[in-house]
Amino acid sequence: MAQIFGYSGKILRVDLTTGKISTDETLKYKDFIGGEGMSMKIMWDEVDPGTKAYDAENKIIFGTGPLCGTGVPCSGRTNITSLLPTSPFNGVSSSHMGGYFATELKYAGWDMIVVEGKAANPVWLRIEDEKVTIEDARWMWGKGIFDTQAMVASFMGKEAQAAAIGQAGENMVNLSVIRTGASHSAGGHGGVMGSKKLKAIGVRGTGSVKIAGDRKDWMELDKFMMSIIGANNQMVVPTTPQPWAEFSDKSSRWTARKGLFWGAANPPVETGECNPKDMQSVGLRTQKAIFDLGPGAEKYTVRMGGCSHCPIRCHSQLKVPQLEKYGMDPYVANTCVGWSGPRGVMFNGIKDFDGHGEDSNIVGNAIGTTLADDYGVWCNYAQIGRDLKYCWDKGVFKRVLPADEYASIPWEKLVKGDATFLIDFYDRVAFKKGEFSHIGDGSAAIALRWGLGDDYWNDKNGKLWTRGGYPVHHSNEAGAQVGALISCFSNRDAQNHSHMNFIGSKLPIKIQKEIAGEIFGSPDALDPPNDYKPMNTFKARFAAWALKRSILHNSLTVCNWMWPMSVSHDKERGYRGDTGLEAKFFSLATGIKMTEKELDEAAARCFTLFRAITVRQMGDADLRAGHDHMNKWITKADKDKEGKEIPQFTPGTIQMTEEDMALAQTMLYREFGWDEKTGAPTRASLEMYGLAGVAEDLARRKLLPS
Amino acid sequence: MSDSTEKREGEGLLGKQTSRRDFLKYAGGGLAGALAMITLGCATTVRTREGRELRVWATPAGALVHDPNRCVGCKRCEVACTVRNDGKASAHISRVKVSRNLNFGVKGVSSAYAKADGQLGNFRIVAETCRQCEKPACGNACPTGAIHADRKTGARVVDARKCVGCGACQTACPWHIATLDRETMISTKCTTCDGDPVCAKACPTGALKLYPIAEAEKLLWGADVVSGATA
Ligand code: SF4
Ligand code: SF4
Ligand code: SF4
Repeated sequence: MAQIFGYSGKILRVDLTTGKISTDETLKYKDFIGGEGMSMKIMWDEVDPGTKAYDAENKIIFGTGPLCGTGVPCSGRTNITSLLPTSPFNGVSSSHMGGYFATELKYAGWDMIVVEGKAANPVWLRIEDEKVTIEDARWMWGKGIFDTQAMVASFMGKEAQAAAIGQAGENMVNLSVIRTGASHSAGGHGGVMGSKKLKAIGVRGTGSVKIAGDRKDWMELDKFMMSIIGANNQMVVPTTPQPWAEFSDKSSRWTARKGLFWGAANPPVETGECNPKDMQSVGLRTQKAIFDLGPGAEKYTVRMGGCSHCPIRCHSQLKVPQLEKYGMDPYVANTCVGWSGPRGVMFNGIKDFDGHGEDSNIVGNAIGTTLADDYGVWCNYAQIGRDLKYCWDKGVFKRVLPADEYASIPWEKLVKGDATFLIDFYDRVAFKKGEFSHIGDGSAAIALRWGLGDDYWNDKNGKLWTRGGYPVHHSNEAGAQVGALISCFSNRDAQNHSHMNFIGSKLPIKIQKEIAGEIFGSPDALDPPNDYKPMNTFKARFAAWALKRSILHNSLTVCNWMWPMSVSHDKERGYRGDTGLEAKFFSLATGIKMTEKELDEAAARCFTLFRAITVRQMGDADLRAGHDHMNKWITKADKDKEGKEIPQFTPGTIQMTEEDMALAQTMLYREFGWDEKTGAPTRASLEMYGLAGVAEDLARRKLLPS
Repeated sequence: MSDSTEKREGEGLLGKQTSRRDFLKYAGGGLAGALAMITLGCATTVRTREGRELRVWATPAGALVHDPNRCVGCKRCEVACTVRNDGKASAHISRVKVSRNLNFGVKGVSSAYAKADGQLGNFRIVAETCRQCEKPACGNACPTGAIHADRKTGARVVDARKCVGCGACQTACPWHIATLDRETMISTKCTTCDGDPVCAKACPTGALKLYPIAEAEKLLWGADVVSGATA
């Protein structure tokens, strides 16, 4: 076989029904880049419409891309694609996890793992370079994710990385995760592994990823990237004024400053000034614990963690000795919604409990995160807490729970903010105990089961974006129509940060608008926060670009929580980043020359294929009406104190209008060449993307727009 | 700050490689030849008065030291090492060893893993670096003399042309730093990158540094030294 660069060149296929293990070639899918793109192709080719998430015929694909393992900054992520149990039509969807699993898989010589079928008894998959075996998991079954990882490593050696499910996944709780390492979860597909009786995948790789380009060029490009990279979410402005910085912004995640420490390190490590010219301080910029959990978290911070080959480190790793009171180990780690999701269950907030005083909130967060991470319960991007609140406020539990079950739930703890409520809560959800545990089925399922109607979907505080049962995730509050559009396409929360890593950079809006003008053709692509204007084509271009970059990143695989590098902290560069960096790294790594435009086109192909799968699964080409339709709270005007409506597109409101969003969708469909009426891919657009076979299939099923 | 400091540090070390330490004490024959070899920065075999064969090594200028308190486990050092030295990205053959201790520490998995070193325990990350041992077990075990002291830095380096891929160095090194690349069947070990370590330059927290050998030895040969191989 000719030398392959960037890619490992092999896809591992495992059929758990028959026990057959085989090898496939990666490069036959190379039009789809890697990770998520290639997974979409496999799902299209091999999983029939009508298949349900927990059917043996469903496949679950663990994907990496050609940049994973090469050392490109922030390239440690694993993309997981499968049918999603929380989607009302079990739509295909992707979840992602960071950590060290993906690079280990690459070094073992595999780009992806495609698992199909269903084992008769619990198993785990053991991958040691080219040697792959299906192992008995009877002693792992029933264990939490931490112990499971330790068991895998006790078989395979301490170097092994593992991805595993907890009890929630085993019990096919729809809201469950697949997790690796200290704190890296892919939400939504834990139950799929559980349905296949696949407890864990362990991987150990002693090989390498070859880089096609000259090693000096590679090192130079890495150096350049390191000179423009910011803090978490590509925030390029420090929180407090710094001698090197022109700007500062209190809401930035670049929290480092003199006098701010990893307080529980021994001795404490000062984050310091973090002058961006000092390459040995890049990993100190983001003291995320104080951002996520407040200033009190500084003293609990042991260090910052994260993924392979990422210098940014967005996961806070804490020692919270108070956890021992609850029989938990004191070490706990996570980031962003990994903390706030479990905490959100405590919808009245966490008050002083068990004598923890002013640190109650941190201890409560630590309890929630420990439970969610070990049982492997997913928060549906914090929706589980909002659903709990809605059902509590509306008396749903009183209505649907048997009286004795209702009485057995320690509601008083929830109401008064005692975080030990979480111990009871997660036990019920993970082990599917009682009617209450159906809160773990996800929003669309509880709406059906508990008869929640329009009031539920259209509740502004509920934040549910469509009837697909998923919430906002950098939606209309993030770039007006741009964020709103981005939220309409996945079958789950959008998990798209392409736009956020630009507009959330904390640079002054004037500079951001200039940069938007350069990338999207007009500064009007971007509205100032809380001062929105009606839709225009530049916003559509921005939204389409963000959607393409997200699937591109999940295919390469690089982190869409840092990439793309639209901006930088460098005044001398006019704060410009470099949106062509993905293509430069791709070309050097693989030896396949691709321009920025060509790579974006390949991403558009992948995204259009995803769209085609959605059409085929729904059995209806009218995605505008059946899939992309937003819940009404988004387009309802706010009211002022006197009860008077605040018209949309006046400063101070971020509400959208139905007409404007309909136009926005039309413009977005046009960007991809899809049918402007239905939002479905047309024959012409599919042929343009080299997907003629897909067009044929859809035509046969009468699913091409007329 | 930045790359330049690391470079200055590296360059500054190069002047310190000529100390001959215990050499004269042991050498019983072939003195002139041995001296000539050491001046060139190689290693040679001499016979002691008791008739024992002994390889004599030039003193290395410096060695790399890792600070477990600052390390964030990003593995940028490993990949920088292998890209520079092998033209490919890998963890296993990196000469600085982070991955293997990342989750469960040096000692590996135990029933008390949740409180032991590692990402699945107390989060502490202990990387292992080559100590550029005064009497390197790796080099002394090599049957072909492929491991020698680099002329410029005194670092114990592998001559790929002489390496036969037997793995004797890997077995002999008490910390298994020398590692056979299974794709080339040639051993890899830390060269200090000519005194200008790319791992330290890639490290985003300053957790890796090249220290002058005397300082490095003080830091590396602490109370928990597991072997007396170089004593
Ligand atoms: S014995 Fe091990 S630590 Fe010592 S020089 Fe050789 S490889 Fe390095
Ligand atoms: S100094 Fe050079 S050879 Fe040694 S571990 Fe660092 S990068 Fe590798
Ligand atoms: S580059 Fe630095 S922080 Fe990252 S793993 Fe290596 S020593 Fe640790």
